[in-house]
Amino acid sequence: MLEAVQLTKRYSSLPAVQDLSFRLQPGQVLGCLGPNGSGKSTTVKMLTGLLEPSRGVVRFNGRAIQEDLASYRMHLGYVPEEAHLYPYLTGWEYLEMVGTLRGMGRNRMYLKIDSLLQLFSLHVARHASIGTYSKGMRQRILLIAALMHDPDIFIFDEPLSGLDVTSALIFKNLVQVLGRSGKFVFYCSHVLEVVEKVCTDVLILRKGVVIAHDSVTNMGKILGESLENTFLHLVDDVDTMNVARDIVEVMKAA
Amino acid sequence: MIREIARQEWDYQRDRPFGRLVQLFVARIFRGGGDTDAEGLDLGVGLVLTLLALPGGFVSIFLFDKYGSLLQWLRGQTNVDTLLMAFSDEYFFIVLSMTVTGAIAVWRWDAIFPDRRDHMNLAHLPVATRTIFFANLLAVVFLVGLVAFDGNAASCVLFPMVVSASQGSLLFFIKFGLVHAVGVLLSSVFSFLAVFAILGLLMAILPPRFLRRVSAYARGLIVVYLVTLLCTSFVIPELLRRVKGPAPSWTLLFPSCWFVSLCQLLRQRANPAMAELAKLCVPGITLLALFAFCVYAIGYRRHFVQISEIAEGTSVQHVPLPWHWSALERLILRTPFQSGCFRFVGKTLLRSEAHRLVLTGVAGLALVLASQALMRAFEGIKSPQQAAMTSEALSIPFVVSFLLIIGLRVVFEIPSDLRANWIFQLMLDPDQECEPLARKVIFVSILPWLLVITFAAYLYLKGPVVAVLHTLVVAAWSCLLTNVVLVRFRKLPFTCSLPVFKQHSIVILISLCFGFLIYAGSTAEFESSALSQPIRMLFLLPVAGVAWYIPHYLGKNTIDLERRLIFEETTTRTVELLRLSE
Repeated sequence: MLEAVQLTKRYSSLPAVQDLSFRLQPGQVLGCLGPNGSGKSTTVKMLTGLLEPSRGVVRFNGRAIQEDLASYRMHLGYVPEEAHLYPYLTGWEYLEMVGTLRGMGRNRMYLKIDSLLQLFSLHVARHASIGTYSKGMRQRILLIAALMHDPDIFIFDEPLSGLDVTSALIFKNLVQVLGRSGKFVFYCSHVLEVVEKVCTDVLILRKGVVIAHDSVTNMGKILGESLENTFLHLVDDVDTMNVARDIVEVMKAA
Repeated sequence: MIREIARQEWDYQRDRPFGRLVQLFVARIFRGGGDTDAEGLDLGVGLVLTLLALPGGFVSIFLFDKYGSLLQWLRGQTNVDTLLMAFSDEYFFIVLSMTVTGAIAVWRWDAIFPDRRDHMNLAHLPVATRTIFFANLLAVVFLVGLVAFDGNAASCVLFPMVVSASQGSLLFFIKFGLVHAVGVLLSSVFSFLAVFAILGLLMAILPPRFLRRVSAYARGLIVVYLVTLLCTSFVIPELLRRVKGPAPSWTLLFPSCWFVSLCQLLRQRANPAMAELAKLCVPGITLLALFAFCVYAIGYRRHFVQISEIAEGTSVQHVPLPWHWSALERLILRTPFQSGCFRFVGKTLLRSEAHRLVLTGVAGLALVLASQALMRAFEGIKSPQQAAMTSEALSIPFVVSFLLIIGLRVVFEIPSDLRANWIFQLMLDPDQECEPLARKVIFVSILPWLLVITFAAYLYLKGPVVAVLHTLVVAAWSCLLTNVVLVRFRKLPFTCSLPVFKQHSIVILISLCFGFLIYAGSTAEFESSALSQPIRMLFLLPVAGVAWYIPHYLGKNTIDLERRLIFEETTTRTVELLRLSE
């Protein structure tokens, strides 16, 4: 079980996340929603161990991850929000490096890289430098890097950005299949429809605080609305239609 | 009133599309271009301008000692011909100006021309392509002027001041200063134009898919040439002064000779050869400017206007590892960390332009110093066998290994796209030791070829005993130096932010200079006398023992926290806030 217990992170005494707690069971796909600056990225960084919480703890199978980060990370597959990769390496070389650092055997690694590159339609471009890749191609490289060692925990931070329609559809199905096969999936996104479709549970953050945490079905039942309306109801008091009208008025103004 | 009108005109021009484009290109040239925002050497404009001005200023200040009338008198130098004395220094300032400006042009190579990113941002706007062309050209001209002015401003004031210190005449100062300014500024402009023309020529003649690869080699060659040019300041002034008759043909290879000759001509101190060379300056710059403009226009048409028709980027040729290399890798790289990171470090060294350029510069310096040592070794000696046993010839592998080891150590500190290091932060164990990895990278990239060449050369010239002994000393010294430079090294190369300036940095710099003299000079001198009686070589053992023990002792006494892998250089704070209220 992956568990966050009263996680708090402060940047120069400004709280980014406050008392965040949740439990993630095998097979559960937890979606994390929130507007910009709500603390989603900070939460993800604490879950991956890239950031140490000011207070609180992240536990995996009952053990604080900071006690043995290296072994925790062996179980982790992470796709960050922005695809920062070394532009002078080729896609193949990058994946080879990641696989080697994860201690994968050479034959198994090559086989997996080759198959995943084929499945993500990157095989043709595998020996081109990443600097020449489009955003979607880089994103697919990150997905392969997160999947290739068969981790138990998946942390996806906006994984769909830049993906084409087919790859996005494949990915959405992949998340569901991963969930069904007993993996832990933490999924951060702005795209409410995707979260509604692929996640079993949802966590809504606002200004670093959890304002809702329940299963997607329950959340809809309680408020009797779609996830989009629930989100707007909980997070923003903005009349989106009015804002849209105002934008067009400003655009047309002389 | 005039000021107000000028300001209004400036504001008006600045807000027009052309003015905005010029601003954009100037900013891009300073802040870096390229399709990827990759390289980690992105210094601010202020820092670049300060760094540019520093060498000329420092060198001028150091020359006070040479030209001070009291110091000359104390040294017993009377009736000194100041202009004659200043000739070699002026030549040095000219080559320094050319080297610095050329280096800036090479560094900003990718940013000089509009690229794919500019095309994506500008091509869809209602701006004519010729407007973009001329805006970029104006930005380049502005850059040339700024670099030439900034790089030479300090020397144009301080050097004439130093030289005229013993003259006591304001007129001498003004005349000397003006002539010096003409020489260094023109040489600066020439150097920039030359690099610009080479880049333009490559763009004009090469298909886009070859351009990136070829331009990488071209940049490397230019860096080597610039280092060689800088090193000529020890030799050429004297050669040039002694030329009788027409200018020798080798002077055509070094435009610095033309500009120093122009200064001499303007001061009416030129010999016939110098007068001949001085006449090349103005036509040379004019022709070069015209040529640069033409190739720039053709290159612009071929690459920028048609950029959307050009396939993005090139593929790297994938060659599977040969079996013996795989076996060697398995033998020397013991852990997945070493195995994965070794290839990353190797590929960064080979492919990252910033790292490759710095390393090429160091290799160029090593090449020049090694060639000088070789030339000195043959002075007054006829047979290669005799020359091989001189301290100069013996010092060659030491010079090369010292510079390359230090060069690699410096290059390790230069980050490569810090935003991409998250993968290492996420995957690497903080207790991972980077020192063995860095040591293996240094050994594998320097020792094999250096030792093979040294052994083969001495085996041919002096037989097996000398060859084995000399190679052993070179190998041992290289290993010891590597150990010394990697004491408390706890980074994965290229993944950590640039080191902060510490107070002891200057001490390290001075230690390096002394270290070089001891490592390359003293060892070679000792070898020169000891190789004839090999038993004497045993005297090196205690020295080697001390050199091994000190880094070993320092490494052993490092606390665990200071061994941990870091991704960010931080300074120790004098005052630490405890934040008890949180």
